[in-house]
Amino acid sequence: MDSSANAVGKKKLSGTARGYLILVGLVVASWLVFKIITPGNFGSPKNMLSYFQASLIAATGAVGFYFVLVMGMFDFSIGANIMLSAIVGCVFATRFNLGYFGLIVGCIITGAIVGFLNGIFYVKLHIPSMIVTTGLALIYEAVANYIAGGIEQTLPSNLRAFGQMPGDIILAVVAFIAAYIILNYTKIGTYTYAIGSDEFVAKNMGIKVDKYKVLAFIISGAFFGLMAILTISYGSSMVAVTGMASMSRNFVPTMGCFFGVAFKKYGMPLQSIIIGEFVINIIFFGFIALGAPTAIQDVITGLALLIIITLTTKVAKGEIVK
Amino acid sequence: MSDEIRLQVKHLCKSFGVTKAVQDVSFNVKKGSVHALIGENGSGKSTLTNMLTGIYSIDSGEFILDGKKIHPHNQVEANNEGVSIIVQELGTLSGLTVAENIFLGHEEQFVTLGFKNTNAMNKKANELLHQYGFDRIKASDMIDEYNFEDRKLVEIVKATYFHPKVVVIDETTTALSQEGREELYKHMERIKKEGGSVIFISHDLPEILDKSDMITVLRDGVYIDTVASADVTEDDLKKYMVGREMTGNYYRADYDEKVSDEVVLSVKNVAVPGQISNINFELHKGEILGFGGLSESGMHEIGKAIFGASFDREGSVTLEDGTEINDIPTAIKHSIAYTSKDRDNESIVKNQSIGENICLPSLDELAGPFGIQSDKKQNEFANKFAKEISVKMVNTKQFVSELSGGNKQKVVLARWIGKDSDIVVLDSPTRGIDIKVKQDIYQLMDRMRKSGKSIIMISEELMELIGMCDRIIIMKDGKISGQIDRGREITENTLIEMMV
Repeated sequence: MDSSANAVGKKKLSGTARGYLILVGLVVASWLVFKIITPGNFGSPKNMLSYFQASLIAATGAVGFYFVLVMGMFDFSIGANIMLSAIVGCVFATRFNLGYFGLIVGCIITGAIVGFLNGIFYVKLHIPSMIVTTGLALIYEAVANYIAGGIEQTLPSNLRAFGQMPGDIILAVVAFIAAYIILNYTKIGTYTYAIGSDEFVAKNMGIKVDKYKVLAFIISGAFFGLMAILTISYGSSMVAVTGMASMSRNFVPTMGCFFGVAFKKYGMPLQSIIIGEFVINIIFFGFIALGAPTAIQDVITGLALLIIITLTTKVAKGEIVK
Repeated sequence: MSDEIRLQVKHLCKSFGVTKAVQDVSFNVKKGSVHALIGENGSGKSTLTNMLTGIYSIDSGEFILDGKKIHPHNQVEANNEGVSIIVQELGTLSGLTVAENIFLGHEEQFVTLGFKNTNAMNKKANELLHQYGFDRIKASDMIDEYNFEDRKLVEIVKATYFHPKVVVIDETTTALSQEGREELYKHMERIKKEGGSVIFISHDLPEILDKSDMITVLRDGVYIDTVASADVTEDDLKKYMVGREMTGNYYRADYDEKVSDEVVLSVKNVAVPGQISNINFELHKGEILGFGGLSESGMHEIGKAIFGASFDREGSVTLEDGTEINDIPTAIKHSIAYTSKDRDNESIVKNQSIGENICLPSLDELAGPFGIQSDKKQNEFANKFAKEISVKMVNTKQFVSELSGGNKQKVVLARWIGKDSDIVVLDSPTRGIDIKVKQDIYQLMDRMRKSGKSIIMISEELMELIGMCDRIIIMKDGKISGQIDRGREITENTLIEMMV
């Protein structure tokens, strides 16, 4: 290898290493702040493991959502998808006596169908994805409510292996590996970035842009299906809410995904989503340990995340940010 | 050049709304030839080649390649038929590696059971880059790490590595430095020797005469003639393109006029880290001051620095009345105008109409009481200045993105003519512009100069600097390397010696 190639190799390594360094720094800093304030009931190794486990739930969905976000689209039906997928999975597992198979297949297939509907409505109606997914979220909520019959759907204790170690970690790791392979070792990953960069040029390169946009929504939906498995397994039940109340579930996976976009330049988007979700959970549990009121928690969490993303997303001078 | 026909263009038509962009155009391209396509801006050259390469659909007519009718729907289908294109503006995608850009749409060769073999793709791309002599570009690097020029070189590889039968080079040379141009010429020659054909679009007529074998002229979307380049002169081509003899002076004819002593702009110790340093000069009333140099000499940053658009600029840019220009709003408020070399990304607002683009900096002047904008006033204003500079358009409501490159440039100029700025900074104002409009722009600059406006003209075209400027400053490695006053004795060589 020639010297210039070596130089390039070194540059890349340092970029990725810098990315990891920042992320680990964020983990340590957020841990340290709350550990100093509430040394007694926060941040022991056992606690940190449980925060990490909790963060895996949102990270599982966020790695899929990354495909949608990078293409320049958005999804406001994340919460509705998780809710509907969890309820269908639970119904498959319990009412149809399909056990784990019903839970896994029901959640993933439902999530993928929701993603497909999001994508197909978006490309066919030519309406901004934010509007399409907001409208569809209302429908998904209503469907979930109809399937649940207004009753809280509970997953029996013998079907909650994904709510604890090692089941949750195994499922999350499988999801991360799948997302990593799709992004880095298939055409889908290349086309995702190509469409996100310039849709018109991508189209001229023979890329079926609409097809890959729908595909991105399907992938995202399926990963939210996986997130639904973890969500209902942790929480043991799911209530079908209506009137856009499901949107409160959008926040955490979306924020994690923003970490991915911010750290894309370091060549480690998926890794940063996982660590980013961990940071969000450390802050969240830190506030719980502090006993801070929910409103204050939300304000400070929101501000902290804005600061983190601002500090880590150092755009080039003159670069337009939208 | 063989006598065998490689490509037949037959009765081709294309309309955009009521605009007939290409009307019943027919001609043949021979094997092993460089076939130039010339015409004024909006004459239909790019529309025609965009149909050939699948970027636009065909309304009627056909392309016959080696006896077979082709009708590609996108560039990959065109590539599969043996046709490729190097476009005028940036044709590579950010966010992808060099290798991914080269093989975009052709990844199948590296995919097994749905999995992409990135190593094999990088290896193949590195081999190609080595073959082309572009070893400094690495396949696994993100394309974003490279400048415009290098990205164009990647496009050359992308468009020619598979030995296409026809390569379209659409107005690419104006975006390249001399070194980049030479690289492109080399590959045009190679394609020709290998029996391929090149359809070469350029507004640089000496370049056209030098590099092409045959020339087809289009005017207003209509086929005019096809001639052998050996049989025509530059003046013949101008006549074909414009439809009449070009009368009047192309450049300024005066050589002895004295420039006013009145200084309207002083630039002192201006520096932009990594770009330019120690820049000092004065601009006089009614003067055309030229900046020349190699593409990366820093001359393009000068325009931005004066307009307050550079980041981290040091030093001072001061007007006659003592006003310091440190940001764009101050510059515009004090009657400074600026047109960027990067027209699409820095000058026009692509998603707005021609009228909106022209009115943009003049909205305050056009506003009625309480800042209320009047559609009528804006329409009149936009129409007046669009017509003054002959923008080829349906009307000013048309989206600027639908215009040809040269007409977009006219919109940018119309904007600043409408603003009636006293100091006008023009970076590559005639880039991608046909000779008729070039002449219009030169005459406009001359009129502006005579009316007391001061102009800074930054250009890579040495002849227009020599022909138009009262004084030329040459840049090298971010610094001023020389200065020369207007004179009959100045030649391109005089400037080149100062540049290198």
